[in-house]
Amino acid sequence: MNGAQDSASVAASSQSAQRQVRVQLVSKQEDIALPENTGPILVPTGLRRYALSTLVNNLLSNEKPIPFEFLINGAFLRTSIDEYLTANGISAETTLEIEYIRALIPPLHIASFEHDDWVGSVDVLSATSPAASWASAAISQGQERILSGSYDGLLRVWNMSSQIVATSPSPADGGHTASIKAAKFVSPTSIVSAGLDRTVRLWKYAESEDGFSGKISPQIDLYGHKSGVNSLAVHAPSNRILSASSDHTVGFWSTKKSDAPAAPENLVPSAASRSSKRRKVTSSVSTPQRGPLALLSSHTAPVSAAIFDAKDSTVGYSTSWDHSLRTWDLVTAALVDTRTTSHSLLSLEHLPEHHLLATGTSARHITLIDPRTSATTISTMTLRGHTNAVVSLSRDPHSSYGLISGSHDGTCRIWDIRSTKTDKDGVVGESVYSITRRSLEEQGKVDVKRVGGEGVKVFGVCWDRSVGIVSAGEDKRIQINRGEGVLSSA
Amino acid sequence: MDASKASKKRKAVTRDVEEEAGVFSGDELNGDLNGALSDNANDLSSDEEDSEVELVDDFSDDDEDEDEEALDSDEIPSDGELPVKKSGKNATDLEMPTNDDSSSEEEEVNFRIEPDANGNDRYIYDEINPDDNSDYSDVEESGNTIGNIPLSFYDQYPHIGYDINGKKIMRPAKGEALDALLDSIEIPKGFTGLTDPSTGKPLELSQDELELLRKVQMNEIPEEGYNPYEPLMEWFSNKQEIMPLSAAPEPKRRFVPSKHEAKRVMKIVKAIREGRILPYKPPSEEKEESLDLVNYDLWADEVERPDHIMHVPAPKLPPPGYEESYHPPPEYIPDKKERKTWEEADPEDREREYLPTDFGSLRKVPGYGEFVKEKFERCLDLYLAPRVRRSKLNIDPESLLPKLPSPEELKPFPSVCATVFRGHKGRVRSLAVDPSGVWLATGGDDGTVRVWELLTGRQLWSVKVGDEEPVNVVRWRPGKDAVVLAAAAGDDIFLIVPPVLDPELEQASLELLDAGWGFAASKPAPKISEDGKKTTPPPQWVRPSPALADSGVCAVIPLRYVPKSISWHRRGDYFVTVCSGASTPASLAIAIHTLSKHLTQYPFSRRIKGGGPPQTAHFHPSKPILFVANQRTVRAYDLSRQLLVKIIQPGARWISSFDIHPTSSTASGGDNIIVGSYDRRLLWHDLELSQRPYKTLRYHRKAIRAVRFHPSGRYPLFADASDDGSLQIFHGSVTGDMLSNASIVPLKVLKGHKITGELGVLDIDWHPREAWCVSAGADGTCRLWM
Repeated sequence: MNGAQDSASVAASSQSAQRQVRVQLVSKQEDIALPENTGPILVPTGLRRYALSTLVNNLLSNEKPIPFEFLINGAFLRTSIDEYLTANGISAETTLEIEYIRALIPPLHIASFEHDDWVGSVDVLSATSPAASWASAAISQGQERILSGSYDGLLRVWNMSSQIVATSPSPADGGHTASIKAAKFVSPTSIVSAGLDRTVRLWKYAESEDGFSGKISPQIDLYGHKSGVNSLAVHAPSNRILSASSDHTVGFWSTKKSDAPAAPENLVPSAASRSSKRRKVTSSVSTPQRGPLALLSSHTAPVSAAIFDAKDSTVGYSTSWDHSLRTWDLVTAALVDTRTTSHSLLSLEHLPEHHLLATGTSARHITLIDPRTSATTISTMTLRGHTNAVVSLSRDPHSSYGLISGSHDGTCRIWDIRSTKTDKDGVVGESVYSITRRSLEEQGKVDVKRVGGEGVKVFGVCWDRSVGIVSAGEDKRIQINRGEGVLSSA
Repeated sequence: MDASKASKKRKAVTRDVEEEAGVFSGDELNGDLNGALSDNANDLSSDEEDSEVELVDDFSDDDEDEDEEALDSDEIPSDGELPVKKSGKNATDLEMPTNDDSSSEEEEVNFRIEPDANGNDRYIYDEINPDDNSDYSDVEESGNTIGNIPLSFYDQYPHIGYDINGKKIMRPAKGEALDALLDSIEIPKGFTGLTDPSTGKPLELSQDELELLRKVQMNEIPEEGYNPYEPLMEWFSNKQEIMPLSAAPEPKRRFVPSKHEAKRVMKIVKAIREGRILPYKPPSEEKEESLDLVNYDLWADEVERPDHIMHVPAPKLPPPGYEESYHPPPEYIPDKKERKTWEEADPEDREREYLPTDFGSLRKVPGYGEFVKEKFERCLDLYLAPRVRRSKLNIDPESLLPKLPSPEELKPFPSVCATVFRGHKGRVRSLAVDPSGVWLATGGDDGTVRVWELLTGRQLWSVKVGDEEPVNVVRWRPGKDAVVLAAAAGDDIFLIVPPVLDPELEQASLELLDAGWGFAASKPAPKISEDGKKTTPPPQWVRPSPALADSGVCAVIPLRYVPKSISWHRRGDYFVTVCSGASTPASLAIAIHTLSKHLTQYPFSRRIKGGGPPQTAHFHPSKPILFVANQRTVRAYDLSRQLLVKIIQPGARWISSFDIHPTSSTASGGDNIIVGSYDRRLLWHDLELSQRPYKTLRYHRKAIRAVRFHPSGRYPLFADASDDGSLQIFHGSVTGDMLSNASIVPLKVLKGHKITGELGVLDIDWHPREAWCVSAGADGTCRLWM
């Protein structure tokens, strides 16, 4: 307490003339919570985040200071307390309750994995990734795997030291015949991928003992879509896959050979078809072919994304270019709800703790939709900042408020839905941090304005607790960013 | 006796006075008194009917008493005392009535003239009626008999003559004596000689009553202490009181105009109307004519002429200000310092050529010395000043601008470049988004046709169809049942099924294209040659080379001339191509191709009159009408009736492209067409309205290459592409109401394409559903704007 008062008095000495305000510092995280007996502290109103962070570190008597962010009434403190009080019309005589949380360490660039072609999709297998947790497989640190689906039609599995552990077979050996736009780990030994060749493919992934070589072998080919598949969602416990396709349907598939119905004849490439003749794709390996459990067709434009509800795997959500977000009951394959926005929706993520669905739009922002509210309130919050279509979204593994988005403008932006302000258009959020592509920096063209994110478009992003932020894009790379300090302490 | 004589003398002397008293004061006084008394009596005894009689009796008694007294007592002279006292004062006034009396007596004739027996006049005198009351008989008796001798003869005697009885008439007492006598008689104070009828005692008036009587007599205000000239207290004035004495509202007469005045005014008005009052007297012409001057009226036959076109009216002088007044307000009067500086300054340097001076009153103002000089200078100014007519509009420029909705309200519309499609070597000449909105097809100078993924800009497929020739145009077949891309490269048209489709759709597309094989061969071809004309046979569709067939090309139409434009019919079975080259024979320039029959027809046998070779052609979205544009006009042909329906004259020198509004003749009443021209104009035509453009939009610096409506009709957008490297997005909403015109709002200029070889943006297309557009640039890139 002495130290606290000292620091407070030191901070106050420079601004002794200023007003003081009572603050009650609280934290919801137990490891950084202040002792119970810490009452309200009188601090000068001129303090900013940094001074408050120093104060809290002093109070906690941390040897290694932890940077903190401060939340007043659920919004980040971005100005001095004084300005905050003035802006919100709060009297300096009230006791402010300030919640402090660990600040986001600016995610530093860790590594980039180079590909031969654009990378359309990325996924991570780590101890904390959903695929591993479903399978309850223990993946030791350093043994994380990164899966990338590339526009050259190949899946690649990387280890953390930027080595390719495994590559999927070529089209001649049962691989994808066109670009892969979505790829996901179903389990540590299973991969699903899909792309412009209209098939969803399940792969068996096996690694050698040393972990430096592996094999991706086709398991099932799922036919049913008549156009390219844009995204995939996996729910391993129920062995279900959702796929979003440009043919305006959402595919609902089973990962089990026994569950799945037979593949529709007309969609299976046959020898009679012109394309097979022309491409001379005669697969040397015969892969079992299966059809969809259901094709959910209600959208009137290409479906951009489909996900499972994070808590209830019988509920699915899908977004489409037809501006609508639809809720499906997967058991009956019935449409439950439709929310129509004013823009094409290109990506989707579920924030289960807040009952929000985040969807990236072609109009360069992210709209947060509460599916529970009445259909009149479409959007509860808008996150603005991107300069091109937002095509990929991922949850923050550390915080239920966090979100990362990948956009065609070549950046990934980290959002905190508490960092908002109310605008004439409603609640508008601003990004907390923006990750640019490393490839631009290497070329020394950071300052060059890229029209439409040309050459650096981000197609996929994945945020894993242990690996960090993995993003893939038009620059033919996977880029890994991680905020070191936070992750080590967490 | 002395006393009696004295009384008699006094009577004689005062006779006139007495008469006079009767006329002037006595009667008046009596009358007044009587009046007052009678009033009193009336008041006192109103019920007594005989009161007046009594009064009359009283009065007569009074007279008798007086007479008696005059005869008997010394008190009589007091009767005339008041008048006597007054006589000195009013001497001049008193004489006049006496004279009047005497003259009236003389005039009165006391005889009658009657003719006697002889006929002479006979004077018959009135019989004198001696009055019992008459005093005058005595007077006559006591008259002086001295005759006509001056009285001065008796100056040394105490008498002045003798009466008829021979007794001396003693000299009357002189004033002093009289006064002494009068003083010797003691008159009780307030003696009036009247009897108070109520008491019967002599009426005595107190001093106050006498004073009152005097005031009444003198027309003064009888009341004591009344000041008639007290200072006026203005109770009701124009001053607004805080607490007014009366809260009564203003009387009506204050604001009711006076009737009297109205009457007078009406009298004057009537007089003016009747011509009795003339406003002015016309000058008498006689006077002028009377002069011997001959006046020539130079302007007698002058007629009003409009001002000369270069006429500029002289500028008006500003009206005089306060400082020019003869009695300016003090703040305008210069102080000493100002006066000094004015006096010291050169006349040319002075701000004004006079000093404001206070003359106090107008009559003190001297003659203006500078008058002539000033008038001369004004004339000189007017004569020498070079005046230029300045046409100045007195209109608020803001009001001239039409009220446009703000672009914010008209969202969504494309505003930023989302994707750049790189890959073509050389110019991209044409591009098109497929009906599903997923793919983009482009064709360029490198002879390739490419298909891209729209959102990501990924090139999915490419085929080289032209060896040397550029791909001039690529167009998707409308409809979702099959996907066919028509591309024109060189002389040929290629019908392509790009291998990006699912097997089912691909099969359908292939079958659609394959169905027509052999149809043209079975058709009797020589029918045309029967006409005797040497018409060129229509081209036969051929199968592509194996290399091309492998890459997706399904059919080739060799046209022999370079088609520059392809436009599909809405149903997807026909498309029209236009070979706009100048060397193309007119009959072969426009060709309609039937997909299902692999048939090519030339609907026009002759050249379209006027306006050069045809440029481009489009089918009407719902009617069987083909619009064909040549360099200057757009013509609409009804294909079923083989008729020219309409000629549209945009007024452009060289039409580059045009587009028909997608909802034309369906939801809304009229057809709307936008026309882009090489002379930088974008013209909106409402065909119901006029042949001429409804709106001309001239925003580009260089030629417009392509114009395009948003095809869905969901977004009222259209865009044009220009050689200046920019696209312009417009809002153009068409209402179903025939009365309201289309509203056109410029929304956005999209810049990004580099100008390469004087060319900027060559083609433009819209996404079929979204408010996204794509543009093909001469810089080898295509861009998606969203």
